[in-house]
Amino acid sequence: MTIPTTPQAASAEAGTAIATRKLHPLVDLQCDRSWFDELQNRLTKGGPWDDWTLYQLAMEAEQAKRIESFDELLCLRSLPSFEPMEHQISTARKVVHEMGGRAILADEVGLGKTIEAGLVLKEYMVRGLAKRILILVPASLVLQWVRELNQKFGISAVAQKKAHTWGYDVVVASIDTAKREPHRELVLGTDYDLIIIDEAHKLKNKKTSNYQFANILRKKYCLLLTATPIQNDMDELFNLITLLKPGQLGGQSDFAANFVVDKRLPKNEDQLQEALSGVMIRNRRGDGGIHFTKRFVKNIPLTLSEDEKALYDAVTEFVKERYEESGGDLSSMLSLVTLQREVCSSRDAVFLTLVNLFKKTSEDSPMRPKIWELVEKIKHIKANTKAEKAMELVKEMNDKVIIFTEYRATQEYLLQFFRAQNMIAVPYRGGMNRGKKDWMMDLFRGRAQILIATEAGGEGINLQFCHHMINFDLPWNPMRVEQRIGRVHRLGQKEDVKIYNLCTIGTIEEHIVNLLHEKINLFELVIGELDHILERFEKGDGSIEQRLAKMMLEAGNDSDLKQKINHLGSSLSRIREEVMTGDAKVASSPDLLINLDSLGQTVEVQP
Amino acid sequence: MNEKQVHKFVNRYLEATECSILEKSPTHFTVKLSPHADRELTNRPYYWSFVDRVGADPETMTFLFVTDKHKYDAAEELKKTEAANAQAEEAVNAQDAAANAALGRSLGFVHGSLAAPIRVPREDLFFGARKLEQLFEAAKAKGSFVHLFQEPERRSANPFASTPYTAWLGVNMRVEFASDRKREEIHCYGISLATGLCVEHFYDRLITHKLTPRLPANIHITKNGISFNKALNIVEQTLERKLKSYDYSWAEGASARLEEELERIRGYYEPLVKNALEENRPAVEEQFAQRQSEIRWQYEPRVTASAINCGIFHLEGID
Repeated sequence: MTIPTTPQAASAEAGTAIATRKLHPLVDLQCDRSWFDELQNRLTKGGPWDDWTLYQLAMEAEQAKRIESFDELLCLRSLPSFEPMEHQISTARKVVHEMGGRAILADEVGLGKTIEAGLVLKEYMVRGLAKRILILVPASLVLQWVRELNQKFGISAVAQKKAHTWGYDVVVASIDTAKREPHRELVLGTDYDLIIIDEAHKLKNKKTSNYQFANILRKKYCLLLTATPIQNDMDELFNLITLLKPGQLGGQSDFAANFVVDKRLPKNEDQLQEALSGVMIRNRRGDGGIHFTKRFVKNIPLTLSEDEKALYDAVTEFVKERYEESGGDLSSMLSLVTLQREVCSSRDAVFLTLVNLFKKTSEDSPMRPKIWELVEKIKHIKANTKAEKAMELVKEMNDKVIIFTEYRATQEYLLQFFRAQNMIAVPYRGGMNRGKKDWMMDLFRGRAQILIATEAGGEGINLQFCHHMINFDLPWNPMRVEQRIGRVHRLGQKEDVKIYNLCTIGTIEEHIVNLLHEKINLFELVIGELDHILERFEKGDGSIEQRLAKMMLEAGNDSDLKQKINHLGSSLSRIREEVMTGDAKVASSPDLLINLDSLGQTVEVQP
Repeated sequence: MNEKQVHKFVNRYLEATECSILEKSPTHFTVKLSPHADRELTNRPYYWSFVDRVGADPETMTFLFVTDKHKYDAAEELKKTEAANAQAEEAVNAQDAAANAALGRSLGFVHGSLAAPIRVPREDLFFGARKLEQLFEAAKAKGSFVHLFQEPERRSANPFASTPYTAWLGVNMRVEFASDRKREEIHCYGISLATGLCVEHFYDRLITHKLTPRLPANIHITKNGISFNKALNIVEQTLERKLKSYDYSWAEGASARLEEELERIRGYYEPLVKNALEENRPAVEEQFAQRQSEIRWQYEPRVTASAINCGIFHLEGID
């Protein structure tokens, strides 16, 4: 059955130049005739005519790009220098070929959800099925996504900055920006071929403005990324799936009747899994967790020299006095707590803080002479016990090593210290711009033996080629310690990682090292576990950092302090035990709510 | 496209656009682009609009195009070590070496020296690379519509003899079969404008000939027997007949998925619409309609045909 279309009819609908013919009861053939109009146009005008070689090249390019079959994963041939892992490829394949491009990617932390999403995105782009793409992520991850898509996938993604950025084909934006005017109108006015939402568990509550915004976006394909699809109750899962495929679990009331006993307890699990398998993929780490290389942690106890000890005691005294003067006001005491921590690091760090403190006090303040006294004590110190130990360690290992410190002044001091001994050390800190950071990384990868870093957070510092790490001093926030370790001990690390903690005996540092190492067992935790521990701990009151500061200021004497920290330590050990054994009364891991094991594969990640 | 094919492609593009190749090996080109290629490849619209307005002489960019990264880098590495060895030999004693190194360091900081070579940006060209994609686009932009004549095989002995030529409409069509997934085919048709004869794989036949944009001597072109519109109709009918014989189980599958998906959201939205408060109902209905149109957009099977490029070809003989 042919629908007759005459050229006259086609040209009558000027502008569209499409002729439709019936091929099959379900399918029409649409012939684009714009080429024909243009050819005639050029014939009438006698040109201009194109080059025969370029004509052939254009044809060869199309032949090379042709999509031969429905079900190959084509994007891999365009990514020659990038090797995704097997489970990432099979996930991308499944999303594209079996799920129609709408899915929740719910892999456990560290298995590469971003890579999976990137593969799906690239595949749809290569196939010409997606052009307008919106990626909504937390503000802090915008640049990371942009960089990853550009570098790994060769996709020209743009970070949303101004209103006009929305005109680009691939835009990465924070959902909090996108949902506000004037952006909102532009975003809602666009038909997106693909929308990716990272950290999608933040959309679990359908009453929030973010959820409602996500729900009215117009999209063809859609990926939701989260490691924790169900944190507290079953409705969260229902809400997420409603964004993608409303009705996959029935209506709200069907869902409640069919699958929920209590808001935390599912029923008919087999059917539920069946329904979920059409819309969710969850790969898990193998039983042994990710197969990382081993970590060796060594605490190096150091005894301060007499002069250093004198300074430490004087500073402790000074800090206590100020605290008592202030009448127990914590907020203004933070710089003093810093002072006490710095004194365990280097005299340079203390000196800088003292100078700043001095500048802030009025000229006739009674504080000034006291500060001066401390500065006098600093002058007596001729050597840094820690730095010398660090030097000894570095020389012994005779290999690349990264040294972390909390303080800029210590960093500067160490740079000079190592340079004075003809050892090449380069700095790394948060304030450097991207280019400089990359440059420092290149130097460290090349001829520099030592990297001295004040910052472990942020992306781009992946140091798998180095497996020695010295904590010159330790942050009081365990997450930051984990970040430090994560820079070195990650996928791709082929050697066992050696971590040295420099720890001065008889100082606050001794307690901190003890707390982090013995009580939380921080250095041996699997990725993600610390999150759970801290989340539960901080439900109490305040972060570990704040509580430590408070204890330190309030403690009457050293044994008092020790007792207090021990108390904190045992409550942390208890939480750790609970998390590790899964005895937690409130399920914090989704697998405790529903067994999602059938929704993906188990991945034994080899470094 | 493997490295060799990419290399050949790039070579032909550079030659066709009259770029000056400064240096080349089987793994790279160092090339100063022609104005034409520069416009297409360097993303400098402001610069070019300035040149056009002012009428200044354009300064085109020079690129290092690497077509086989691994081999190129290995070769460069080798060169470097060789150079280093040679240098080491030159420096007779350690003091000389140290002096050279110091000189090298300080010279490294000299900026804007006339002797400093122009920065040559490097682009790795591999299948999937953005720059190569840009080359593809550039080829297409200036390789879409042609008007060509076959060069006679040999000059006729008799200067008064005239060879008959036929004009052909040639078109390379890309046919896309799409639902939520997609595959493609390329069909190349040639229609004799003299007789209406339609030939498949016409492109393959074209590339065996030598073609030129200039009218050769001693030929005459047969009068067209059919109109262009007729020729277009023949192309489309031929394509349609061919495609009708295909297997459409993929489209049946897609339609079934489409129905299933529509059914599923009906199950979700219909009770929602029914139970909605009067003032909310329009919003819920609108969302329901939106979801339905999204699903059609996603799954509806469709076949589209569009031209990659086309032209008029005057070939020897009467067909």
